[in-house]
Amino acid sequence: MENREIQSILPHRYPFLLVDRILTIEPGKKATGVKNLTGNEWFFQGHHFYPPSLLLESLAQVGGIVLGSKAKIENPLVHFVGLFAGVSEFQFRRCPVQGEQITLQVELTQSLASIYRFAAEAFVGDEKVAGGQILLSFLKNPSGGPERSSAGGSG
Amino acid sequence: MIDRVEELEREKRIKAVKWVTADEIYLSGHFPGEPIMPGVLTLEGLVQSALIFLGESFTRGKIRVSLEKVERLRFKRAVLPGDRLDFLVSLTGKEGNRWKFKGKAQVGAEVAAEADVILKVDVREVGFEL
Repeated sequence: MENREIQSILPHRYPFLLVDRILTIEPGKKATGVKNLTGNEWFFQGHHFYPPSLLLESLAQVGGIVLGSKAKIENPLVHFVGLFAGVSEFQFRRCPVQGEQITLQVELTQSLASIYRFAAEAFVGDEKVAGGQILLSFLKNPSGGPERSSAGGSG
Repeated sequence: MIDRVEELEREKRIKAVKWVTADEIYLSGHFPGEPIMPGVLTLEGLVQSALIFLGESFTRGKIRVSLEKVERLRFKRAVLPGDRLDFLVSLTGKEGNRWKFKGKAQVGAEVAAEADVILKVDVREVGFEL
């Protein structure tokens, strides 16, 4: 899935669209995405590494794509809103730096009402750099018209 | 993510403030026409408050700090342009070079986010003792 299609699922845009491409996806179950670090990005003005907070966001956005892609297939006319609800037991081993490609692996492990729990891991090559659980809430947007089929968003 | 530190008790707690305003760069993409402060940047603000706290708690040597773990983080409320975010962070424990913090980000009396984090602090002594 290329970036253009990602933008049809997630409402995130520059400079806060933090996943470049989806390599594999099973809608509603799991996905693998990539985020490249080239050094031109705005956050490199204050950091020389990819900040842990943004790594969480990248993983959450892949989670949003897992949920959003399924919703798009099943309810193409309904507008859904995804929100970043939380994080549990998430460990950072090291921060990826400029010149590296981060592989983002996300898999749904539990859903309770509108809260979805994912196992999320980030790799650089074969090296696991971070991992833990992330929680997203995903709901039909009561105020959203049926004209938009996009889903997602993590507040 | 921090505009001002309002209260600081060394080795205990810090209260820091960020004003949220519509022309911050990341709000243009989160989301177009519907600016909401990204939750992860609220986490960033809590962690940066802890960094300032650590910087003030060590008077000698240089410290290198990294975020090692987010034990628990919950987002409770959207933060919007015009809001004032208060970061209330207190030290809850220390094991070796791992410092545990509990943080709350508030807009007025409402909690926007809560976090339990562990920061790894490496101290490097510099200079000579006379």
